[in-house]
Amino acid sequence: MSGPWVVALGDPAAAEVGLVGGKGAGLHRLVALGARVPAGFVVTTAAFAAAVAAPEEIEAPLRALPADAPVAAVEEAAAQARAALTDAIRSAAARGDVPVLDAVRAAYRELADSAGPGGQRGAGSGAAGGGAGLGTAGDPAVAVRSSAAAEDAADASYAGEHDSYLDVVGPDAVADAVVACWASLYTARAVAYRRGRPAGPMAVVVQRMVAARAAGVFMTLNPANGDRATFVCEAVWGLGEPLVSGAVTPDRFALNKISGEVVRREIAHKPTRLGRAGTEPVPDAERDLPCLTDDELAELLRIGRAVETAAGAPQDGEFAVDDDGVHLLQARPETVWSQRPRTVARGRTALEAVLATLTGGDRDAD
Amino acid sequence: MPTDRFPSPFDIATPEGAEGWESMYDWYHLFGPERRELDEQRFWFADRLHHPDVLHPYDEIQCECWWQALGAFNTRIFAMPPAYGVDQRILNGRLYVTPVPAPPGDVAARAEEFGKRAGHYYERWDAIYAEWKEKVLARLAELRALRFDPLPDLEPESTVYEHVGTSAGFRMIRDFNHLVTSMYETYQWHFELLNIGYAAYLTFFGMCKSAFPDITDQTISRMVGGLDVELYRPDDELKRLAKEAQRLGVDLGEDTPAADLFAVLTKTDNGAEWVADWERTADPWFVVNTDPGHPGGYHVHPTWAEAPDVPLAAVREYVRRLDNGEAIDRPTDDVLRERDRIAGEYRELMAEDDRPVFDETLELARKVFVYIEEHVLYIEHWMWAAFWAKSKELSRALAAMGELDEPEDMFFLRRYEVAEAIYDCVVGWSVGSRSRGADYWRPIVETRRRIYDALKAWEPEPALGPPPAEVNEPFTVMLWGITTSTVGEWLKADDEGGKVLRGTGGAPGVVEGPVRVVTHVGELGSVEPGDVLVCPATSPSWAPVFSRIAATVSDVGGIMSHTAIVCREYGMPAVVGTGNAVSTLRTGQRVRVDGGAGTVTLLDEV
Repeated sequence: MSGPWVVALGDPAAAEVGLVGGKGAGLHRLVALGARVPAGFVVTTAAFAAAVAAPEEIEAPLRALPADAPVAAVEEAAAQARAALTDAIRSAAARGDVPVLDAVRAAYRELADSAGPGGQRGAGSGAAGGGAGLGTAGDPAVAVRSSAAAEDAADASYAGEHDSYLDVVGPDAVADAVVACWASLYTARAVAYRRGRPAGPMAVVVQRMVAARAAGVFMTLNPANGDRATFVCEAVWGLGEPLVSGAVTPDRFALNKISGEVVRREIAHKPTRLGRAGTEPVPDAERDLPCLTDDELAELLRIGRAVETAAGAPQDGEFAVDDDGVHLLQARPETVWSQRPRTVARGRTALEAVLATLTGGDRDAD
Repeated sequence: MPTDRFPSPFDIATPEGAEGWESMYDWYHLFGPERRELDEQRFWFADRLHHPDVLHPYDEIQCECWWQALGAFNTRIFAMPPAYGVDQRILNGRLYVTPVPAPPGDVAARAEEFGKRAGHYYERWDAIYAEWKEKVLARLAELRALRFDPLPDLEPESTVYEHVGTSAGFRMIRDFNHLVTSMYETYQWHFELLNIGYAAYLTFFGMCKSAFPDITDQTISRMVGGLDVELYRPDDELKRLAKEAQRLGVDLGEDTPAADLFAVLTKTDNGAEWVADWERTADPWFVVNTDPGHPGGYHVHPTWAEAPDVPLAAVREYVRRLDNGEAIDRPTDDVLRERDRIAGEYRELMAEDDRPVFDETLELARKVFVYIEEHVLYIEHWMWAAFWAKSKELSRALAAMGELDEPEDMFFLRRYEVAEAIYDCVVGWSVGSRSRGADYWRPIVETRRRIYDALKAWEPEPALGPPPAEVNEPFTVMLWGITTSTVGEWLKADDEGGKVLRGTGGAPGVVEGPVRVVTHVGELGSVEPGDVLVCPATSPSWAPVFSRIAATVSDVGGIMSHTAIVCREYGMPAVVGTGNAVSTLRTGQRVRVDGGAGTVTLLDEV
C-alpha cells in the first residue's frame, strides 16, 4: 500500500477507504459535509504497511489453527501474533528504524498547535513534562481508534471488534496507542469476527477528545420498526462509552424528522457518568434530568439528516455534546433495515392500491 | 369473572316506565323473534357517533336515510369488496348497528366489479362532484321553498285564476311526501361519493402507515387536507364579522344576549350596518347545526342562526384575540405550503419504487377529501337544517289546525303517523267536517312523552352480543373509532365497573379538574374556566368553549375526530371515544384526564 502515512481528516486523500479505513473515510465525509467533527488525523494503511514489515509471519500462528480450534487455542495464537507485532516494532524503534511513528508524533504535535474547537487539553501533570516525547501540560487529549478497511462498511459493522484508546495524552502515548490498535487486529474476537479472512491493513484515527457533557448514539430510522421518518437517539451524561458497551441505561429520544417534534422522551435515572478520571457520581439534582436539551436534539437531527441525505442511506452514529454544541464522532450506514425490502405499495396505480386495501391484500406484509 | 360477551339484545330489560316503547319506532327497525337466530349471533354496538341520545319517533327518519342508502351503494351499486351495508336496530330508543361483511368468497369477484365501477368515478371525480353540488343545492332550494301554512278557509283567488288545479290540503300531503323522499334521495347522493371517497382516503392512509409505522393520523390528514373548502366558511365568516366590528368601532359587549345586543346596536349607524351584515351572513353561513358530534341527527339542536348567542360568543372571542394583536386568519397559503413540504419529505423517504403510486394515491386522496369535508356542510348542515325547519313549520301548521295540541307533539309521531295526521287534518278541512285530530293523538303523545323520559334515564350497553375476535373492518375503525382494544375495554368495564374510564388518547397532557357534563349547545354557558368538558362529542359550532376548559372527554370519536383535532390545537389533553363518560360522570366530580394514556380517573366524589 502506497500513499502518505498521515493525512488530516479534512484532506481529500482521506476520502479513500483503502487508505484511511472505513471509520477514517466516514469521518472525512462528515468533515466535508461541514459537520462539527473533532479535529484529527489518520495514520493510514500505508503507514501500517511500512511499519509492519511481514504481516504474514505475524499471522502464522493463527493460520496454523484448525477451523474448529478451541477458544483457548485461538486466544493463545492471537496473543502470540500480537506479541510478534509489538515486539517487531519495539525492536525496530530501538534501532530508530520506525519513521512512521515519528510521523505520528509530528502529526500529534501539529494537532496540539492548531486551536481546534471542542479540544480538551491534557490533564498531564508538570512532572510528566520535559522530555521530547513525553506529554506536556498543554498537550491535547486524543482518542485513538482503529479503522480497518472493512470496518463500518454497509454490510458489516465490525462494531467494537477492534480497540479504542481514550484520553491519550502526549506524543509517545499516542504512538503506543497506535501500535496497540494495530495489534488489536489479532484479538480473539477480531479473529473470530473475520472468520478466516486475513487481517487487512489497518488505519488508525487520532482525534481530539471532546469534553463531553453528554454523549450518545443516534440512528436515522426507528430500529424497532424501520420507520425512516423517525430519528432516535440515546444519550448519557459524560462520555458515551458506557452507553455503547451497554453498561448503563441511557435517556431515549425519538424525533419526527419532518416536523422536528420530539415524539418520545424516556428519561433514565443516571446516577453515574464516565468522566476523564473514570466513573464518577452525577450530582443528585441532575440524575433524573434529560441529558440533552431540545436545542441539542434539534441540532443532532439536522446533522443526522444531512449525513443521511449525503450518504443516500440511513445512518447510525455517535456524538458528544460540549459547550460548543454537538460534535459528530462517527457515522456509518445502518445495516439491519437497510438490507430489507421495503416496498409497501401493492399495485402500480392508485386504483390497484385501493383494491389491495379493500381486499386485505396490503395486510399480507404485516 | 371476566365475561367474554355482551348481553344478548333479547335479554335487555325495558326500563321502568318505558313499557310499550316499541310502538314509537317502525317495526322493521326492532329486534324481533323472526330473525332472533341471526341477530343473536351478531355483534352490535351503540352508534353514539350519529345518534348519541334517545330517538324521537319522528327523528327515526335520520337513521332510515343512511341505513338504506349506505347499504345499497356498498352492497349493490359499487360492490365494495369487503363490506355490505351497516345494519341497524333500535333498542330502548337507542340505535345499535352492525357492519355486514361481504361473504369472503365473493370478495375477489366484487373487487373486479368495484375496480370498474369506482374506477369510473375516480377518473371523473371532479366533474361528477361539480354536478353533484348542483343537484344537491337545487334540491336544497326546493325544500326551502316549500311552505307549510295552516290551510286557508277559502283558497286564494290565484288557485282559480292561475288554474292551479289542486287544493292547499292536497299540496300539504304532496309536499310532506316530497320533503321526506327528498331526504331519502339526498342520502342516495350522500353515499354516491362518500364510501368510495373513504376507500381512496383509507388507501393512502394505509400506505403511509405501512411505510411509516410511527406516522400519526394527524400528519396523514395534513398531507391530504388543508384545502380552502367551504366547510371552513362559517368560521371564516365569524372572523370577518369580528374584523368588521373592529373596523366599525362596534362594541359587542361581553354577556349581553344576542337579541338585546342587536336591538341596542341598530340604534347607531355603524351598529346597524354591522347587524345587517350579520343577518346577510347568517343565511346560509350560520345554518350550522350544533349537535354534539354528527350534525343534523336530531330535530332538537338549533342552528347558529337559531341560537345566535353561540356564534356571537365566537365572534367576541375573535375580537378579543384581535385586540391582543393576534392573527386570526387561517393561513391557507402556509397550510398548503406545509402540506406539500410534508408530503414531499415523506415521499423522499419512501422506497423509490413506491413513489409513483404514492403520488397517484395522494392525488386521489386529495381529490376525494374535498368531498369528504364539504358534504358535511351541504348535507349534514344545510339539508338537515332545512328538513328540520320545514318539519317544524309543518308541526306549527298542524297545531294551528287543531290536529295536535302543540307543535312539538308531532315529533312523538312516526313519519307514517305524521302522514296519517296530515290526511286526517286535510280531509276534515276539505269536507268542512271534523277531523279526529288532537283528541286521537293526545293519549298517544302523552304516553310516548312519558316513555321518552324513561328511556332517557336508561344507560345503554355500549355493545350487544358476541364480540368479534378482531375489529378490522376499515370503515368501522375509521368512522366509529372502534377497535379490537376498545371492545376489550368495554368488556373489562363490564367486570370492573371501576373508577377508570378508557378511551383513545386524542391529545396529550395530564390535568385534573371538575367535570362539566354538556349534551346540548345551550348548556355551554354554564362551563367555568378550568372545567373538564365531558360530552357525547364536540362540534365545530362549539368553538367558543375551547378557550375556557382544561380538558375534554368525549363518548365517541377517534384520533381524527373534531374533539381530538381542536384539543391538539389548543394544547389541552383530550380522551375521546370513552363510550360512556356522559352517563358515568357527573358534573362536579374531580377527575384526572391523561390524554397520552387515554384514561380518565375519578379522584373523588363531590
